[in-house]
Amino acid sequence: MGNVVFQHVYKHYKGEPNPAVNDFHLEVADGEFLVMVGPSGCGKSTTLRMLAGLEDVSKGNIYIDGKFTNYVSPKDRDIAMVFQNYALYPNLSVYENMALGLQLRKVAKHEVELRVSRAAKMLEISHLLTKRPAQLSGGQKQRVALGRALVREPKAFLMDEPLSNLDAKLRAQTRAEIIKIHSQLQTTFVYVTHDQTEAMTMGTRIVVMRDGRIQQVAAPQILYDEPSNKFVASFIGSPQMNFIDGIIASHEDGFYFENRRLRLPLPKAYARHLQGMSQGLPNSRRQVVLGLRPEHVLCDADALQAEPYGEWQVQVTVAMKEPMGSDTYIHTDLGGTAIVSRADAHIPVRIGDTIKLVLRMDKVHLFERESGESLLLRGASV
Amino acid sequence: MTQLPPPKLSQLSRTLELFRSFQKPLFLRLSKLKRVSISKSLLIVCFIGLAFFMLLPIIFLFNNAFKPMNELFLFPPTIWVKEPTMRNFEQLFLHAGAAVVPFTRYLFNSVFVVFLSLVVVILVSTMAGYVLSKHRFHFKGLILSMIMLSLMFAPETVAIPRYLIVSSLGITNTYLAHILPFIASPVAVFLMKQFIDQIPDALIEAAKLDGANDLYIFTRIMIPLAAPAVATISIITFQAVYLDIEGSTLYTTKETMKTIGFYVSSLTINLQNSVAGQSMAAAAALLMFIPNLIMFLLFQRKMIQTMLHSGVK
Repeated sequence: MGNVVFQHVYKHYKGEPNPAVNDFHLEVADGEFLVMVGPSGCGKSTTLRMLAGLEDVSKGNIYIDGKFTNYVSPKDRDIAMVFQNYALYPNLSVYENMALGLQLRKVAKHEVELRVSRAAKMLEISHLLTKRPAQLSGGQKQRVALGRALVREPKAFLMDEPLSNLDAKLRAQTRAEIIKIHSQLQTTFVYVTHDQTEAMTMGTRIVVMRDGRIQQVAAPQILYDEPSNKFVASFIGSPQMNFIDGIIASHEDGFYFENRRLRLPLPKAYARHLQGMSQGLPNSRRQVVLGLRPEHVLCDADALQAEPYGEWQVQVTVAMKEPMGSDTYIHTDLGGTAIVSRADAHIPVRIGDTIKLVLRMDKVHLFERESGESLLLRGASV
Repeated sequence: MTQLPPPKLSQLSRTLELFRSFQKPLFLRLSKLKRVSISKSLLIVCFIGLAFFMLLPIIFLFNNAFKPMNELFLFPPTIWVKEPTMRNFEQLFLHAGAAVVPFTRYLFNSVFVVFLSLVVVILVSTMAGYVLSKHRFHFKGLILSMIMLSLMFAPETVAIPRYLIVSSLGITNTYLAHILPFIASPVAVFLMKQFIDQIPDALIEAAKLDGANDLYIFTRIMIPLAAPAVATISIITFQAVYLDIEGSTLYTTKETMKTIGFYVSSLTINLQNSVAGQSMAAAAALLMFIPNLIMFLLFQRKMIQTMLHSGVK
């Protein structure tokens, strides 16, 4: 069992001006399932590899289970890693692949057999033990790779995009399996992925990274409901959050979100976050990006008639429909800005129709145009 | 009721068609049979011709070995033997039996030198290839470019410096003189490095996390995976060492330290029996060629695999 602590960790590569990992400061609790997510090249894999000892730490400290680990060799860190391309030894059988780590650690033979057979049973690969990796399918290979990590019974499991080489169905299946394994073992998992769905479904806590920097660390639901900046808001959630450029205008009856086509009143509750935006500031300082999730863009008849939503209506043209079965994504055009609404599957709209939408201003996120920081969380979390 | 029996007609026309097609040139016929484009069939014909042309020396070699004396000196020379005979082999063995140094001594020298060179070259090139491919260290780029550079020299240009090194090391007239010049084989190191580049880093990293040290990774993971490249290097080195006469002519003066390659080439050079030598040389050339052929046939598939992997075609 082990907790992992990163203290202001940096990774500089020679000849590159910006660090690949920039001030990564985080504590992973024992038994936690931490997911690091971000676009490719954001430094998430580098961070994981530093934790594994496969990359040197340029600056900062890493502790595993309370022990300073910067200079400990990978094999002595008592961690197991699962790689994206499985990294099974092609010349060894499945059994030998799984047993190698234990044999090299001089674990007694009967113990090795016991642990391998137990892990194989857990992953349902007992019938494959004598086969070579080349004879296995992608999903089976990934199970073997998982098994190889399991038998080690390490302090922490590190996983570097283990599911990205699998097809959609297998991915969902293996995802569920990893969640199950975690709940059984209660060991620390550090999981790297670029897929926000994986991050949302698996993690007890998610780290969103960009350009080597941590953007936000939070539980999945908090990340979804309260993104700290525009990047996190756009990265988490599918379909993506809608963004509309505009300014904050203060009038006698409260704050408004305005642009050339829109003038929407903001709820009173936001007033305290927007105080700084009030009078006296030039327009340029009041520029914001309004973010609204597709499920908060309503277009059904009930919503249009609902009393509180009356002043949040806008007129748009339907550009595209994406029927998903359970619901339909309606892509609309609001004077050049694309707005996506998650609507009922049977909604009777056609491409080219002009329809009314309700933008639920009580659910909006407001981000500073320049920095992308959330205005509504300012003061709350920072 | 006056219907003509259609199968017969079609059969006839097909036969006619077939007959006509034989009058067409080969590439047209090919295109008809396998439904390949004319350009493709032309290409196939060309390559078959080319392949046969490449095969000619080997056919010539086999035929020559069985030609009687008069056929060997025929002008213009013929490829196919008319009256095959074993005389050449008899002569060769007689000559070898009468020589000052027994034939078996040359053979032993060759086997010994080839074996040791193979072992050492494989060891050195796999180790060097592994380190150059998968490890980071200072001056790696420089070392790599030095190896590339040494690939560009024709062997003749380095014969003198090589001699100076061998003689100043004081290893003339020893087996080391035969072996040492071959150990530093840039081709082998380069091939090996290219091949190991293909092996994913994750494999090594997984092994490191499993607790394997470099030696374990090298012997248990790298070597088995690099087997095709090892086979290729074996062929290349075998041919180079086995056919080498430089070691025997330049670095050794004692007849007992010379190799079979040198012995065979000396058969024709020796002026006293230059005419009789021709027949023996023909037989000896075949005998020399056979181990090469066996080596190649054994490792052929692996060799092609390596060439594909290393981007050297």
